[in-house]
Parts: sequence; C-alpha cells; structure tokens
Amino acid sequence: MHRLLPKLPLLITESADEFDALRDAFEQEIKPRGIIEQMYVHDISAIVWEILRLRRCKVVIINLALRSALQDLLKQVLRQPGQWEHHVEGEAQTLARSWFTDQEAKKQVSEMLSRFDLDESAIEAEAIRRSSSDLELLDRMLTSLESRRNKALGCVAEYRASLAQQLRDSADRIIDGKDVLRLEHASGKRPTAA
Amino acid sequence: MASERQITANRRNARNSTGPHSGAGKKRASRNAYRHGLTLSVTSTAAYAKQLDKLVREIADDSKDAIVLERARAIAQAELDLARVRRAKVSLIERASAFGELDPPQAFSTVTQIKRFLNALDRGKLILPKPSDSSATMPSQEPYRSAEAIRRVLPELRRLDRYERRAAVRRHRAVLDFFGGMKPDYNL
Repeated sequence: MHRLLPKLPLLITESADEFDALRDAFEQEIKPRGIIEQMYVHDISAIVWEILRLRRCKVVIINLALRSALQDLLKQVLRQPGQWEHHVEGEAQTLARSWFTDQEAKKQVSEMLSRFDLDESAIEAEAIRRSSSDLELLDRMLTSLESRRNKALGCVAEYRASLAQQLRDSADRIIDGKDVLRLEHASGKRPTAA
Repeated sequence: MASERQITANRRNARNSTGPHSGAGKKRASRNAYRHGLTLSVTSTAAYAKQLDKLVREIADDSKDAIVLERARAIAQAELDLARVRRAKVSLIERASAFGELDPPQAFSTVTQIKRFLNALDRGKLILPKPSDSSATMPSQEPYRSAEAIRRVLPELRRLDRYERRAAVRRHRAVLDFFGGMKPDYNL
C-alpha cells in the first residue's frame, strides 16, 4: 500500500496481518499502477473487510439469540393445558442453560421437540425471528456494501479507460502536430513591452 | 385522513418548497451537514492539512499547474473524508463494546419506571431508579462482544455508510475530472 494513503482502522479484536493479506491478494489480482489505482484497491479491500465483519456479526447475533429462543420454545413445549408460561419458566431456563454444555439435556430437549414434530432447526428459526430487525438492518448494509464493492471494481476499469483515452488524445495531438504548431507559434511571438 | 382540498393544497405548497433561493440561505443550508462533523473540511486541523498537501503533491505528480493541483486536491480531500468516516465507524463500535451503549444511561428507561416514580412522589417519597449499566449486559467473550457492540450501533453505522458512499462518489468524480473526464457513473 502507498505510504501516503490513510491506514484502515481495525477493531482491536481484528488482525492487521489478515487485513494485509486480503489487500495483498487484491493487489496481486488488480496490479495497481500509481496512487489513484492504489486508492481504489485500498477501497475495495476496506469494503470487503467490512462485509466479512458484518457477515461474522450476523452469525454471532443468531447464536447470541439461541438461548432465549430455546427458552421460549421450551416454555411452549413444557406448558400443560391450563398452565401459564411462568409456571414452567424455571424449568425452561435451567434446561436452556444446560442444553449448551450437557449432552443429556440436549437429548432431552430433542425428545421434547420431536413430540411436536419439531427438531433443532425450530430453535434456530426462533432465534432468527427474535433477531429479525437487526438481521434486516445488517442485510441492508451488506447489500449496500456489496454494491459499492462491485462499483469500486468498475471504477478501476473506468479510470484505466479514462487514462487510456487521455493518452490516446495526447498521442493524436502529437501526431497531428497541433502541439508543435502551437509551440512554434508561441516562440514566434515577440514579447511586447508594457 | 386529509381531504381532496388539503391534498391539493399540500401538493401546491410542496412545489414551492424547493430549498433556499437566496445566496445567504444557500450558504446556511450548505453548512447543515457540518453539525455531524463528518463533512467538515479536512483542512480544519494542521495535521490533516499537512497530510492533505502531501497527498495532493503525490497525486499531481509534483505538477505546479494550478488546475492540476486543484483537481488533485479534490481527490485527496475525498480520500481523507473516506478515511475519517471509516475511523468513526470503528470508534463507535469500540465505544459500544466498552460501555455497552453510546449515550449515557437515562434516569427512566421504561414507562413503568416513570409511573413508579410519580406514584412514590404522590406519597411524598422521592425514589429515583438506579441507572442501568449497559456494559453489564455485554457478553464478556469474543467474538460475541464485538458482534453485540455492532448490533447496538447498527442505526449509526448505517447513517455513516451514507457519508462513506457519498465520499466515494465524490472521489471517483474528482478522479475522472482529473483525467479529463469521461462521463462517470455517479450511482455508487
């Protein structure tokens, strides 16, 4: 990366080496020439890095909601006719807590769910339902970032085309002799005193 | 529901709302975004000005041509704006990770708390609720903590994303201007 371009700030939990590796991979592919192209490559790497960050976040948000999702599901499963949810709240809480660490509890939950033709995907579905507003926001941001990444890749091509056009125009001017004529004309002028 | 007459009047009034017309009004409106600080000119601090000048010289390839320098400046300014927004994004996430939220805790976070406070006041007692500690509800382990911090600042991140997008468009436009201008795709 060019020494004058601002470094991408990372979260303290993120690895600078991993980001460098990602940017190096893009540099290998795009082979930037000059500071402008390096800017675009840096941009693409920064956008992709953020996409990866948000994708990781999406998975973790669902995982974080798993416990309360399971708890809610168990309350529904455990409740007998005529009982309120708070009657089974304690049992559901304990079982939901043990489900993550205790194989026996996991088996017990599976059996309970199967009585209603449900399996573990019902827990994930409930977790997604509970996090849907956050997931929707994340999805919008991801869509926006993905579109910007594609446009940024297009920018490199557009810039190269623009540069190539300018070089072609310069070459045409030299071949047509316009620049030379202008220089001759300019040198032929006599300076006038004020 | 609005009547036909009200709808027509609203539409007529809306046609007149085309923003400021006078020079002073336009100038004032142009400073609206300054409230957020993100669109502040990057030349506002000495360190930025220095960084900007170096970048301008590099882009302009040490040209002394005033037009070339001005166009290079536009590119460099947009590039530093982009960096500023990216720093702001990371900084917001780090702050939410440390404190659990961006704003200080409110005295009342639910209607029930307000009701309790007023009921107690009626009985002649002043009982203020304890402020909630948002950091206590943050997961202690990674990657859960960072993900939860991102979740809590998602609306702010989305707003910053708009600034970032705009800075990227501005930079691309400036780059194409710099090289004598093909028609750029502004819908970044």
